[in-house]
Amino acid sequence: MSSDAPLGSFEEQVLLAVVRTADEAYGMRVRQELEQVTGRDVTIGAVYATLDRLEAKGLVLSRRAAVDGLSRRVFALATRGARALAETRDMRDRLWQGVNLRAMLARGTA
Amino acid sequence: MTQYRPGCTDARLPLLPAALLRSLLPLAERDEVLADLGADYRSRRAGHGGLAAGIWLWRQVLASLPSLFGRSWWRGWSGFEPSANRMRPGGPPMESWIIDLRYAVRRLANRPLYALLAVLTLALGVGGTAAVFSLVRGLLLEPLPYADEEQIAVFWNQFDWSEAEYLYFNRTFPGFSIVSPYRDEALTLERPNSPTRLLSAISASAELFTVLGVGPAIGRGFKAGDDLTGAAPVAVLSDGLWRDLGGDPGLVGQTIRLDGTERTIVGVMPPGFWFPDPTVNLWVPEALDPETRSGNYALIGRFSPGMTIAGMDGPLAQITARLDEQFDYSPQWDKTKNAKLTPVREYLIGSLRPALVATAVAMALILLIACANVAALMLGQVDGRSAELAVRSALGADRRRLTQQLVVEALVVGVAAGAVGAVLAAVGYDLLVGALPLGAWAESSKLDWTLFAAAIAIAILAALGVALVPTLALWRGDLRGALTRMRTTSAGGRGSRMEGALVVAEVALAVLLAAGAGLLIRSVGKLYAIDPGFNTRGVAVFDVALGATTTPPERREVLERALNALRELPGVEQASLTQRLPLRGGGDNWGVAIQGRPDIGRSTTAVRLVGPEYFDVIGARLRSGRTFTIDDRAGTGDVTVVNKAFAEKYYPGEDPLGRIIGAGNVFEERIVGVIDNIAEDALLDDPAPARYYVYHQAPTYTPENQTLVVRTERPQDAAAILDAGRRAINRVAPGMAIREATTMEQVFGLAVGPARQLMSLLTILTGLALILGAIGVYGVISHFVQRRKRDWGIRLALGLTPGKVISHVVGRGVALVLFGVALGLVGVMVLSRFLVSFLFGIGSADPAALAGSAAALLAVGVIAAFLPAWRASRVDPATVLREQ
Repeated sequence: MSSDAPLGSFEEQVLLAVVRTADEAYGMRVRQELEQVTGRDVTIGAVYATLDRLEAKGLVLSRRAAVDGLSRRVFALATRGARALAETRDMRDRLWQGVNLRAMLARGTA
Repeated sequence: MTQYRPGCTDARLPLLPAALLRSLLPLAERDEVLADLGADYRSRRAGHGGLAAGIWLWRQVLASLPSLFGRSWWRGWSGFEPSANRMRPGGPPMESWIIDLRYAVRRLANRPLYALLAVLTLALGVGGTAAVFSLVRGLLLEPLPYADEEQIAVFWNQFDWSEAEYLYFNRTFPGFSIVSPYRDEALTLERPNSPTRLLSAISASAELFTVLGVGPAIGRGFKAGDDLTGAAPVAVLSDGLWRDLGGDPGLVGQTIRLDGTERTIVGVMPPGFWFPDPTVNLWVPEALDPETRSGNYALIGRFSPGMTIAGMDGPLAQITARLDEQFDYSPQWDKTKNAKLTPVREYLIGSLRPALVATAVAMALILLIACANVAALMLGQVDGRSAELAVRSALGADRRRLTQQLVVEALVVGVAAGAVGAVLAAVGYDLLVGALPLGAWAESSKLDWTLFAAAIAIAILAALGVALVPTLALWRGDLRGALTRMRTTSAGGRGSRMEGALVVAEVALAVLLAAGAGLLIRSVGKLYAIDPGFNTRGVAVFDVALGATTTPPERREVLERALNALRELPGVEQASLTQRLPLRGGGDNWGVAIQGRPDIGRSTTAVRLVGPEYFDVIGARLRSGRTFTIDDRAGTGDVTVVNKAFAEKYYPGEDPLGRIIGAGNVFEERIVGVIDNIAEDALLDDPAPARYYVYHQAPTYTPENQTLVVRTERPQDAAAILDAGRRAINRVAPGMAIREATTMEQVFGLAVGPARQLMSLLTILTGLALILGAIGVYGVISHFVQRRKRDWGIRLALGLTPGKVISHVVGRGVALVLFGVALGLVGVMVLSRFLVSFLFGIGSADPAALAGSAAALLAVGVIAAFLPAWRASRVDPATVLREQ
């Protein structure tokens, strides 16, 4: 288990959004992806601050690339980031094992 | 900085949100973020309308500000640079400032002594100035709690107006819309199950609150007719007294017993209201009688609409003309002459100004000295860093950037000093209030947030001032040349001259303070040397008040009980009483006639009714005859003791003993003794004739207010028995209110006046200035020695004696101090006029005070310069030359 895991929940979401947007993973695109998937308002400031922090930790890398004809800072998941994501998920899965919410919810409604 | 360009991708973004974002985005990423946001905004506007898009955009921007600001700060502090931006210029906004801040914090952390000294020095100045500023703001700059205060003024001959005079004008004075007479009163408040309290009150006509333009918070003020004979007695309470009595709105309408009279509470004034000072907590209407011609009222009035104080000459002439028609005045008290109005602000708080201004000036001087000190410290640091600065300059750092660094370092010191100073000011605030002659205002001045705001603002200003000095040195010096100079020469450049100038300024400022303190010390010394005619040591004083309704025989009985209880206290030698204590002024004046001297005509002298033991208790000096004894009682033949001034005025060249005097046409009082003059009025007043009676022989006259005096066996115990005395009085005479328990020494101290308190404060500040001055001289001379270490090494190797080195270095310190002293003395000539109102018996250029302050500074300078001089004399030539 690396020291990067478990990730904070917003960090995890931002990392996943970077993976999902692949070659177009620049700040505004990541923000839109998060908003579309989670259905919640996400500010550009929070996304950029988190991406900076993730890059400083070595979980993402950034490079310059032209997207839609404009030079942008595009992010990509670093190996450490991939490991942190996987470990965070494993940790959560282990915690979920044996938890049967359906049964509890069913009892609660009965 | 990205310029706005037509056609730029963020062109469609509204200006303000775009500008906000631009200010917080790193240059390298600014365009793309704004372009993306602009595109999103446009598509939303097309889809959802302008309003929804606008709301979305503002939410994006405002919610982003904290995280973007945090990111800027973090990038600047940590130096993080994203790999994508390596080849693009431009870090986060304010990056250089943030980097400088980090550098300044590190530098200060690595030099804890320098940092501590700089912060503490500045904090002392900042804290003191902030505390005085806060006090001055609260007392002098706040508006008075009255409507349109500039429309209110007080008549001349204050507390000399009679009810007859006021009513003669039928309450209508030319030029005024309304006028009210008022006078001070002390009323006893009796409540079941609690000791009798004495309240400071004002009795006035029904117009008082209308003149002031203030209405009550609860109930009503006075109404017309409240001040007519036979009207139901009413009272208006201050907010403070109302809270003391329970703070229940239902109190309005209830009665309280004041001076034996049941009065209905009709109203409560709003919090923050005071008149004429914050200790007064009760206002009662006075039943005005057109026949009463004895005057002890002040008249306060509000001008007619459209009138100003400047235009009141005509109306005043009409008033004096009408007074002249109706009243005969003796030349001494002629109200038709010198008619003058005093603005209410000047009248009520004008007396606070000189002491506050003098203190503010003194604190500002301390702050300036502190600034000079810190500037000299920073200059020393800059000089010590000349190699570093030269290298940085050679590598491309420009002077602007180096200046920015100095400013940031000064600001870090300044902000820390502001914080420490605010704490110092808050802690020392009460001390300062106690140390200033504020009288009734001392209790009402409260610490508030402005003190902290002032501390930070003053600290930042001071820090910028401090940064100015090394910046000048930086801009005037030759940076790159410093590298070469370092190795080849040893003499100080511009920096050392500037350091010297700072020390000279510091010493000059310290001389100002020391001279101010010296003048006050001399003045107060002279005041204390005045002989009041009695012994102030070892006398405890209890001012008491008896209810107005008790009869003279009852009063005498209660007073005797209280005196006997006091006499039984351990450590008490004797106790007695007087109707009015010396040094307090006022009191009774009775007519006097001398038997066999009809030519003298009628005149008056001060009269005091005292107990038989009174002269022994206060230590008055008998010149001839005897004082009173317990055998001087009603029916034993009336006797009187007179003072020396009485004897000299009425019996010049004769022996007054055995002579008979009287108050009217009947002569029945025999003079049995003559005492030295006792200062009955102010300490500085010329001795006036006074006569003393023993109160047993005036059975029908025992005034409501009395003062019990107690001599203790050991003089130092006077203050210690005050509590026991209070308890004893409350036990045996519960209906008697104790107005104040104090000592004669304190009464004397009060009589000495505001100069005494100001002297203590200025002396403390001078001590501080001397310490700061010593630190300054020490710092500069140490630095001077450090820079010339090589010179000393060589000279010592060539045979210079250590004694010569010491005298040379100390001589340099003394030269700086002398120069500063000379400058300071010139300043004293200009500034000491601020203190003139406090000076007594000396001029503002008193040679002893000035010489004393100069000598103090010189002594401090020599001592401060000696340590570095001694170090210079111990330089080992071999070591120094090897080092170089």
